[in-house]
Amino acid sequence: MRLDEPGEPGALATGVTRDEIELRSPTLPARQSWGDITVEPLDINVLFGITGLPRFEVSLTPNVREARLLNDAPWVRGVGPLEMRVQTEGWKFPAPPIDLPPRPPEARPAAIEGDVPVPVLPDENVPVNRPPKVRPKPTAETVLFKDRLLYLLQPPIDHLIGTKTVEVPFQPFPYQLEGIAFLMPRHSALLADEMGLGKTAQAILAIRLLIQAGMVRRVLIVCPKPLVYNWGRELKLWAADLPYEVFAGDLQLRRATWHISNCPVKLINYELLTRDAEFLNDARASYDLVVLDEAQRIKNHDSKTAEVVRSIKRSRSWAMTGTPIENRHDDLINIFEFVDPGRIPRDTPAKRLPALTGDCILRRTKDEVQSDMPAKTIRDLPLELTPPQREAYDLAEKEGVVRLNALGETISVQHVFQLVMRLKQICNFDPVTGSSAKLEQLLADMEEVAANGRKAIIFSQWVEPLEVIAKALADFNPLQFHGKIPTNQRPAIIDQFKADPTKHVILMSYGTGSVGLNLQFTNYVFLFDRWWNPAIEDQAINRAHRVGQKHPVTVTRFLTENTIEKRIAEVLEAKRKVFNDLLEQNGPPPVLGLTEDDIFGLFDIRNRPKKTHADAAVTIPFPAMTKAA
Amino acid sequence: MIDTLPANLHLGFLTVFAEPNGFMGGYLVTNSWGRPLEFRLSTAVQPNKVQQILYGGTLTEYLSADLIGRTLVEKTSTPAHLLVTDTLNVLPVRSRVEVPVIATVPDSQLPPSSGDRSLATFSHPRSSIPLTLDLKWAGDEELVRAILDRVDAALDLAEPFARIREAMGEARKMGVTNRAA
Repeated sequence: MRLDEPGEPGALATGVTRDEIELRSPTLPARQSWGDITVEPLDINVLFGITGLPRFEVSLTPNVREARLLNDAPWVRGVGPLEMRVQTEGWKFPAPPIDLPPRPPEARPAAIEGDVPVPVLPDENVPVNRPPKVRPKPTAETVLFKDRLLYLLQPPIDHLIGTKTVEVPFQPFPYQLEGIAFLMPRHSALLADEMGLGKTAQAILAIRLLIQAGMVRRVLIVCPKPLVYNWGRELKLWAADLPYEVFAGDLQLRRATWHISNCPVKLINYELLTRDAEFLNDARASYDLVVLDEAQRIKNHDSKTAEVVRSIKRSRSWAMTGTPIENRHDDLINIFEFVDPGRIPRDTPAKRLPALTGDCILRRTKDEVQSDMPAKTIRDLPLELTPPQREAYDLAEKEGVVRLNALGETISVQHVFQLVMRLKQICNFDPVTGSSAKLEQLLADMEEVAANGRKAIIFSQWVEPLEVIAKALADFNPLQFHGKIPTNQRPAIIDQFKADPTKHVILMSYGTGSVGLNLQFTNYVFLFDRWWNPAIEDQAINRAHRVGQKHPVTVTRFLTENTIEKRIAEVLEAKRKVFNDLLEQNGPPPVLGLTEDDIFGLFDIRNRPKKTHADAAVTIPFPAMTKAA
Repeated sequence: MIDTLPANLHLGFLTVFAEPNGFMGGYLVTNSWGRPLEFRLSTAVQPNKVQQILYGGTLTEYLSADLIGRTLVEKTSTPAHLLVTDTLNVLPVRSRVEVPVIATVPDSQLPPSSGDRSLATFSHPRSSIPLTLDLKWAGDEELVRAILDRVDAALDLAEPFARIREAMGEARKMGVTNRAA
């Protein structure tokens, strides 16, 4: 193949001659033919070493401007970066103050040569296929993403509890797991489950998980004095790996507990807390979480107890009570002064409460969560007064009403109340002969209780009747648990009642025995006389009818016919219907106990005390009516 | 190696998945009973056309293991003793890190073994889903079993991925993924 002459197609414009570029084919393959087609082998061999090229008159300089023109659209389209990049963001979570000891490695059997390999079996009692069910979810008030992450990334509660990580004596009920998941992410919470549903266990497990997750390091639990022992026992039961300390001893010792001790969980009663108010001013007395048991203790806004409780420096505030509203909706507002100060203005009407508190309150009733719980039977037992009682009663009422009417406008509710108390006492026992229709019935009932090997609780408003009953029930080895029994002896009495099969009955006053005690091993409750408020009565009944109860519970309410007891019961029963609407959408009723008008309505009294507009708003001015014996 | 395992084991749970904005990864380090210690998430990576052509069939694996997975693990300050993933494409991250990597993938989603990737599956009480190991790293199995034997019985290896995805969903809602970008 030869290069064509210059000027012809394919010639080099620079005038290269065939001498300077030679195309050679020294070892060309043979020509090949297929029919009419002949293929000539092609070999182009460019000989470098070109010389004699003409030069430009002006040397060429690379021009940046021209280069940019070539790069500009539409001439050249950018392909974008070839390298891919990624950015990350991370969050570290707090470490717990007490890390769980690592679990010892499982011993694996050594393989024996020639032996058949044993398949790996799932751990016993550990269903690995469980889907995650109950997990704490961040609330709307958790605004920081890191805080929200912390809750979202926590392991499911139902996977943890009951395993080696969080050992428990028995598996909590599903509603209790939901309660734990409710409490964990909340800085403001009111657990208002009905009595007997295990609020204490839920709170302890929530505390335990928060401490294990490193979210909480210092916890203060405040409870009524009689319940300190019970809390200690529950803490050992539900959080055996969690050290706790009870405030006790003299001033110096308590000061050390407030300011020096680094125990993660501290337990104090309301009375001692009020006495130690000055220690709370110290910055060291601050807590990540304060739990208030029986939070109705702070329902009176101006009480010293409420004031001191509100002054505790804290990040999280949990309140627990089965009766968030004992008398008026203000009770709930005052509890919220602790739970979330400022959330509810003092003069908020009852109708607005559900909207303001809904996210912070969890309340379940036994009917809702425990359909398989043994039944509770309420037996209203009408009794005729014995003749001596009837005679004494009629005389006392007649004279009492006459005296009240004679008071004219100077009459006060206290005067009426004194008469009520007097008549109620006669309904229990005749003051002269000591005869009692209730006691006769009680003796008969106790025969049956003891014959069946069961145990019973008897409640009364006063200590004196309990002491009389104790003598009458000597055959049943009664135990007494009321205000006259020293506090340090009370836990042993409960333990004895539980353990000793010969102790068939315990006599309790409403004030001492109605809250916090777990007596689910008893199946009979007798209300020897009635309390003023259905909520307190419910608390008393629920000592027996609570989580762990395996048998039906029978509650007997003694009511003497044609007496003040019957009239009070009718008033309270009407109010109980309203009480059932507690915390429901329509809002709580304004007053649950007896009002001044209710008290006056018990008798045929013409006069009424003069009262100002402000007085009209005040109800139940008697300490004796709100404070149990 | 087994003898030198510390008393407090840490587990790393790594997931990478495609979403409309691109590929995203999340990495959660927990203690041996699942308590979260550290969490890290990536921005969304959206490969362009040229990158898709350039990486071809290896694109997903490159994004999952080399780019997102490896970066997440390396940037996290809490070291893990075992990496668990729910995505097979993340398994090759084993060649970039010094800890064993296993996947919790249901049998139905496992591809047939091919020449370039052979997988081995085994079961363990700590996982409700069979565990998968890249046969290139078959020697890790003994170490993996030793680690899993020390993991608390409460933990199911397949469970934390639900938490990670929920956290990533929350991050997306709150615009955290854009902030990281």
